[in-house]
Amino acid sequence: MRSKNLTITFLVIITLIVLTIVYVLPIYVTVLTSLKTPVEISERQHLIPSATLHFENYQKAFELVFPSLINSTIVAFSATFLSALFGGLGGYYLSRVRTKFARFLFILVGVAMYLPYQVVLIPLVQIMSKTGLALTHYGLIGSYLILNIPLASVFMGTFFMGIPRELEEAAEVDGASRIQIFFRILTPVALPAYASTAIIIFTNVWNEFLLALTLATPTTQTIQVKLAEIKGSFLALYHFQMAAALITLIVPLVFFLALGQYFIRGILAGALKG
Amino acid sequence: MTANTNQIGKAKAKKSRKDRLSFIDFLVFLLPLLFFLILLYGMLGWTVYTSMSAWQGTAPNWEFVGLKWYKMMFSLERFQVAVVNNLKWLIYGVIPTVVFALFIAYLLEIGKIKFAENYIRTLLLYPVAMSFVVTGTIWSWMYQPDKGVINSILRQVGLGFMEGKFISNPQTVTNWLIIIFVWQYLGFSVIILQSSFRTAELQEMVESALIDGASRIRILFQVIIPNIRGGMLILISLLLISALKVFDIVYVVSFGGPGFASDVLAFFMLIATFQQHLVALGAGLGVIIFLLAFIIVIPYTIYAFRKWFE
Repeated sequence: MRSKNLTITFLVIITLIVLTIVYVLPIYVTVLTSLKTPVEISERQHLIPSATLHFENYQKAFELVFPSLINSTIVAFSATFLSALFGGLGGYYLSRVRTKFARFLFILVGVAMYLPYQVVLIPLVQIMSKTGLALTHYGLIGSYLILNIPLASVFMGTFFMGIPRELEEAAEVDGASRIQIFFRILTPVALPAYASTAIIIFTNVWNEFLLALTLATPTTQTIQVKLAEIKGSFLALYHFQMAAALITLIVPLVFFLALGQYFIRGILAGALKG
Repeated sequence: MTANTNQIGKAKAKKSRKDRLSFIDFLVFLLPLLFFLILLYGMLGWTVYTSMSAWQGTAPNWEFVGLKWYKMMFSLERFQVAVVNNLKWLIYGVIPTVVFALFIAYLLEIGKIKFAENYIRTLLLYPVAMSFVVTGTIWSWMYQPDKGVINSILRQVGLGFMEGKFISNPQTVTNWLIIIFVWQYLGFSVIILQSSFRTAELQEMVESALIDGASRIRILFQVIIPNIRGGMLILISLLLISALKVFDIVYVVSFGGPGFASDVLAFFMLIATFQQHLVALGAGLGVIIFLLAFIIVIPYTIYAFRKWFE
């Protein structure tokens, strides 16, 4: 028995060490590289910080990405808010109504929630360029709603399924309408669920690349597209690429570190464990 | 017995009457979702039609040409390379992720190490917050053959002979790209498996198996794995669909190259549509991607459907 425990402890320690190396090394080297000059980088001492840390790399990178950072912020927050709002409403319907139509609708939603954007890309580009929406943030926001509202509906619905109906029944007896019940009684209870759904959708939208790339105009370019452009055009300037990558990462990373529990609950909602 | 079922039937009928929505309710709860669903499936139909049109060049041409583009597509070498690479992504991207995640999640379960659990969760999960463009940029620097991170470190520790060409080798480029995906999705998979382990029934079964003197490994294969089929099914579906969607890593790290050695359908679709202006061909590739995604997502949808309506 004792030797068994020892084997397990040994395995745990080895696993911890290996995982730490594999997951810390890339981000550690990225941070160090982002603070070096090209000459220092070519010395190939990637694990050791340079003598002086060149924070001005960040200043330059930040200036370059700033407009796209603003675009991403507008698009991601708007799309997240609207998806959570409409998804909450739709999810409530799907979690409470048991008609044939609701079942049919659920299948349509279930297939839609993980569809790749490629299947709607060509019509979407047509619509956006014909209507001129591509030149505004509305185009991207609307496009993101198409797949994120079904996703939010299933996430929120999964949470609503876990809320006992008795909560609503008391209000029903008092003659409150469904809409009143939803906004006055259920919404406050479901706020943590909204937070989980929102953080997942925000990360999805902030990190999305395909639509952002094909619908991008100079006025709506998102941070991901800008980063890909920087990577493609500043080929040998790794310090600059790494600084831009870290700036791109920082917003969702802060959300993840600050709201980790909600993030994990969001992932589990995607795995249908509300 | 009959009286009983009757009663249940009546109760059900009562419930569904209550479930009926007024017109206003319908507008508020359902209209936004319905609107975007109709838009989505409408555009899907539009893509299907485009794939059977003569559209080539920048201006739309809606003349119907049937399956002409599909025939051309299947004969293209680039398409065949992309399909093989997509299969690699689905197999090598998913199986190792599930196996590693199972190992780590089980070790956390039996290791009884509370402090390590939070540490490992943060360590493994932070890549979930990263975009493929960010990971792609970072890993391009890791893989850079000339002065990049991995080769430099190998040389420093005296393993210079192991230096790799990584993404500049057309034979192995896809595998190196897949490693990035596995790296990014491992934490996500561990979280899902852990929550599958932690059901009361499973814990009880594990305990009674332990009392019977079963070994930890036997418990994993004979008690745990057969009893988390639901969780595994969901996890595998989610990983498959993510692996199918990946085009960002290919775009950022190798741009489909060298040549088109690391091409995948999702990337080829973009190139065909917007670079070669073979829009009908691009739409056809979109349809193929949809069919694959549809097949992958069916088990997920059925599982979700049962959970909701039964």
